[in-house]
Amino acid sequence: MRIERRLEQPRWLSFVVPAVAIALATLLGGLVLLVTGHAPVKSFRRLFEAAFTAKGALSATVVSATPLAFTGLCAAVAFRMNLFNIGGEGQLYGGAITGATAGLLLAHSPSPVAIGAMVLAGAAGGALVAAIPGFLRAFLATNEIITSLMLNYVVGLILTYLIFDTHSYLRETKGFEAQVFPQGKTLPASATWPSWTVHGLALPLGFLVAAGLAFAVWGLYARTRFGFEVQVIGDSSRAARYAGMRTRRKILAVMCLSGALAGIGGASQDGDFRHQLDPRGLTAAGYGYAGIVIAALGRYNPFAVVVLAFGLGGLQNAGYTLQSADFPAGLVGVMEGLILFCALGGEIFVRYRVRFERRAPKAPTAALEPEPSP
Amino acid sequence: MTLRGITKRFPGVVANDHVEFEAEVGEVHALLGENGAGKTTLSNILTGLYRPDEGEILLYGEPLELHAPRDALDAGIAMVHQHFRLVEPFTVAENVLLADHRDATRSFLVRPRDVERRVTELSRRYGLAVDPRARIWQLSLGEQQRVEILKALYQDAKVLILDEPTAVLTPQEADALFETIRAMAADGRTVIFISHKLHEVKAVADRVTVLRGGKSVGTVDAADATPRSLARLMVGREVEIARPVGEQREPAQVVLEVVGVSADGDRGTAALHDVTLSVRAGEIVAVAGVAGNGQRELAEAIAGVRPIRSGDVRVAGRALGGGDPREAIRAGIAYVPEDRLGVGLAPTLSIASNVVLKSYRRAPASRGPLLLLSRIRDHAAGLMRRYDVRAPGPDVPARLLSGGNLQKVVLAREFSSEPRIVVAASPTRGLDISAIETVHAYLRKAASEGVGVLLISEDLDEILALADRIVVMYEGRVEGERDAEGADVEELGLLMAGGEEAR
Amino acid sequence: MTNNSLLVLVISSGVGYGTPLLYAALGEVLAERTGVLNLGVEGMMLVGAVMGFWTVQRIHIGSTLVLAAAIGVAALAAAAMALIHAFLVVTLRANQIVSGLALTIFAGAGGLSSYLGNDLNLSGAPARHQFTEPLPNSLQNLKIVGPILFGQSVLVYASWLFVALVAVYLRWTRAGLNARAVGESPAAADAMGIDVVRYRYLHTIAGGALAGIGGATFSLWLTPQWVDGLTEGAGWIAIALVIFAFWRPTFCLVGAYFFGALTALPFALQAHNVHISGDLIQTIPYAATVVVLVLVSSAVARRRLGAPAALGRPYVREER
Repeated sequence: MRIERRLEQPRWLSFVVPAVAIALATLLGGLVLLVTGHAPVKSFRRLFEAAFTAKGALSATVVSATPLAFTGLCAAVAFRMNLFNIGGEGQLYGGAITGATAGLLLAHSPSPVAIGAMVLAGAAGGALVAAIPGFLRAFLATNEIITSLMLNYVVGLILTYLIFDTHSYLRETKGFEAQVFPQGKTLPASATWPSWTVHGLALPLGFLVAAGLAFAVWGLYARTRFGFEVQVIGDSSRAARYAGMRTRRKILAVMCLSGALAGIGGASQDGDFRHQLDPRGLTAAGYGYAGIVIAALGRYNPFAVVVLAFGLGGLQNAGYTLQSADFPAGLVGVMEGLILFCALGGEIFVRYRVRFERRAPKAPTAALEPEPSP
Repeated sequence: MTLRGITKRFPGVVANDHVEFEAEVGEVHALLGENGAGKTTLSNILTGLYRPDEGEILLYGEPLELHAPRDALDAGIAMVHQHFRLVEPFTVAENVLLADHRDATRSFLVRPRDVERRVTELSRRYGLAVDPRARIWQLSLGEQQRVEILKALYQDAKVLILDEPTAVLTPQEADALFETIRAMAADGRTVIFISHKLHEVKAVADRVTVLRGGKSVGTVDAADATPRSLARLMVGREVEIARPVGEQREPAQVVLEVVGVSADGDRGTAALHDVTLSVRAGEIVAVAGVAGNGQRELAEAIAGVRPIRSGDVRVAGRALGGGDPREAIRAGIAYVPEDRLGVGLAPTLSIASNVVLKSYRRAPASRGPLLLLSRIRDHAAGLMRRYDVRAPGPDVPARLLSGGNLQKVVLAREFSSEPRIVVAASPTRGLDISAIETVHAYLRKAASEGVGVLLISEDLDEILALADRIVVMYEGRVEGERDAEGADVEELGLLMAGGEEAR
Repeated sequence: MTNNSLLVLVISSGVGYGTPLLYAALGEVLAERTGVLNLGVEGMMLVGAVMGFWTVQRIHIGSTLVLAAAIGVAALAAAAMALIHAFLVVTLRANQIVSGLALTIFAGAGGLSSYLGNDLNLSGAPARHQFTEPLPNSLQNLKIVGPILFGQSVLVYASWLFVALVAVYLRWTRAGLNARAVGESPAAADAMGIDVVRYRYLHTIAGGALAGIGGATFSLWLTPQWVDGLTEGAGWIAIALVIFAFWRPTFCLVGAYFFGALTALPFALQAHNVHISGDLIQTIPYAATVVVLVLVSSAVARRRLGAPAALGRPYVREER
């Protein structure tokens, strides 16, 4: 087998490869089911129904998709500049903490004010968490991959601490249930985010915000000077420096932007769905990691991120729905992993030309001559 | 060693086209060719790094199948690459040991002392002084090259391939290397010497095989060949070896002054010490020196890419703050960096994006925070026509262009910004002859239009052909300055090797 | 100081909690030293934990044998997970970060380990066989050193052996030298005839096997039963530990026990009726790792003790 870099990436490949990846993953997942004595077709049909076609399934899928869209955008924005922010998880927690705080503080404000404040506070909280690896990377050249990963745990533990191990402002202290099992204060009605129902499909505000932000991110990167600089820095930081771009500031800015997106996702968790700061629920969900995966699958394209978030959200939603039934637990994670593996493996066919014959039958046409020999 | 009909294709290009080649035991055989003639590809095939699409390799008359570098090493073929293949944090002895597989089964444990002793022996015998316990990153490029040769000798390689070995050496160091090469050949080893420099080939080789456009065009005895006959084979046409010297110009205003500049290198150690020089409008000043003596750092310091520790860079009398490329750009300094793809151009971005790499902040490329994409494309298409950039269109990613076209894009961007000063660092490295001529023409044209040109080059021929004045750098210092008119190559070489102290 | 004193308690149980970290970190050191970053440690540990536990529950042979077999099965199962990662990042040149995360999603809690644990009906029951402390009581009751050094399971003593093996391997053997060369400069290693692909595969897989043993340490000794997601993030701490230990096996030993002691501290304090937040103490390993990372960020420090230079980068020979 020989592998050569493609000169140009045919467009059709970027559609065919993911489709084949999903098909292959389904096949492999079916194999896993078969080996362990389950009926593959039946299991997959139930999975699909629970995700998309059952009554109310689509609305529930949107609920699962919303945080994934935010964390996916978070990862995509940073990856575009070759910044591997894998701290979307912690940044989402950060946004959830600040978002919930804003919601509780503004209990007596009109709803639009409270909700607007929550969005801003969430963005600020996420940005703050992301600013730490961003600053370290920009000014001390510290690898952002591991620092952002480590902060996931630091912020996650702080989040747990706030509700479980202290009598913080965010914790519910009254009521019988709260005495037995610690939980966050319920947000006031003014801090509850609205949702709209279109043809029976409930669209929460958070999802619409995510879709709007996807559009904004696309515009920012494709049409502005800021986006141009991000592209250049992402492609070659030395070329950027050569052209007089302020790379350090841009690294910090992009990390903060990235964190802010995840942070709004955290605030949306408070306002849209959970109506309290919910450490157990948030830390168990792993939205941040799934977001990275979505961003990578969607090749950092913001629109693809939203679409993929919807697909993966469907899978996760089905996982929750079928949890108690006689359904193989863990199948959802297995399927997610398999799709990822197949898609990652498929990337090579997009980036490279893979040939299996021993000798090249014909000379490629020499339209462009690359630099001869390294 | 014999090669028959070696062919290697890469996407979009045939790098080797039925190459025929033969070298005998104890022979120094030169492979001569322009950049892009397929020399490096061929040597990568010989060392098992690439596999040929067609053809066969014979060693002592036996066919040889090379699937991996390991096979070549086992067959006794070793190569000194142009870019050294050394593990930087390891010691010299460890690197030497890594390449040696003969006693892999015998010594399970590493015994560095034994290796160090043998390395010391070898380096004495062949005049390759280097401390076996030093770590690679602490060594100069010349020393690293010696490590590469020691690696080959340690494993008792029968065939040594040296790829452009003199590029990092002073003329004097190169002479020492030639001694080593002859000593190795006298020991019955075969040395394949890859170069594009005619006089070197003539000086060291027994026979010469010339490559052109991926094909082998002939093998001649070095003793019978003249530089002119070799050049004709290499280029395929008559070339003028003596180049025109520019006519005397009126003394003009000084546009660029570098006053007592010191700066740190990439490793945090001082790379420039108190460098002072000046360039007048319409003048070409060349900075000569062996690679790695501070020339690149000097260019970067002037262009603001590298922070300055002390001293001043002045443009038309006004001092720049230093360390700010944007300020240098505004002051009218155009900079053609040594590294085209990666510094001069963003590889995966389009030609259009690269053309506005420095001007995207201003009209007409942008309005406020927004880019005006269609204007950028039009502007790029215009420049591509004017500078004869051969590519399907302005949306093509830069990395798909050939070296010559890449350099044209860089030149188009830099010269169209109407600069006062052009700093060109090794602008012709890796280009073929016609592209080199184009680059030279642009530099001369810029000078004739009153731009001050600072040319950094390791090629004395190029410098003598273009420059009005020559500044020689050694270990980050200005070692001397000469008028190009009547400059003595021997003397320049001495200055490049550290001047008086080298004597 | 008695054997019930706070310090002895914290250190002796810190050694226990540190042991799975140590195994996993040693494995990750092997992989990272050849330039393969594997963020799938958590997933590999969980698969090791579940398969090791399955072995002791379902295979009926003598206690010693079955425990040895369980460790073997755990190592193999996790090595198989590592093989997926190796195939993706070495052969197919996929992004190492994304592939590692995908591995954790695939194999970890909510993925294959949960699937297997539930499907094989492993939850709820205690382990039929588990690792115990083998040394005689007279040794275990020695003052201070008794509980710390002699009151530990075979897994702890075996881990010391592994530390020594990995340390000697990397520092003094040819294969270790080659492996480090692959991690520092694959291009140079390749030109010198070292099979980059093979080294990366083997070390990633060996790393997976060690992570699997680390996971089995939970299900066969520390917990000892199977609970979904029982490693609770130990895999991520192990990744932090590798950095904290500057990619050196011996430093991993110290670091693992330090991190383990931090886990043990809140429980020990509680036994002494002192309450401090376990959550906040648990942030220390992560925060400390960030600090270490900052300290080794300068170019000079990195060259002397930092990450393998080619960590996270695929190696492609015929690319131009």
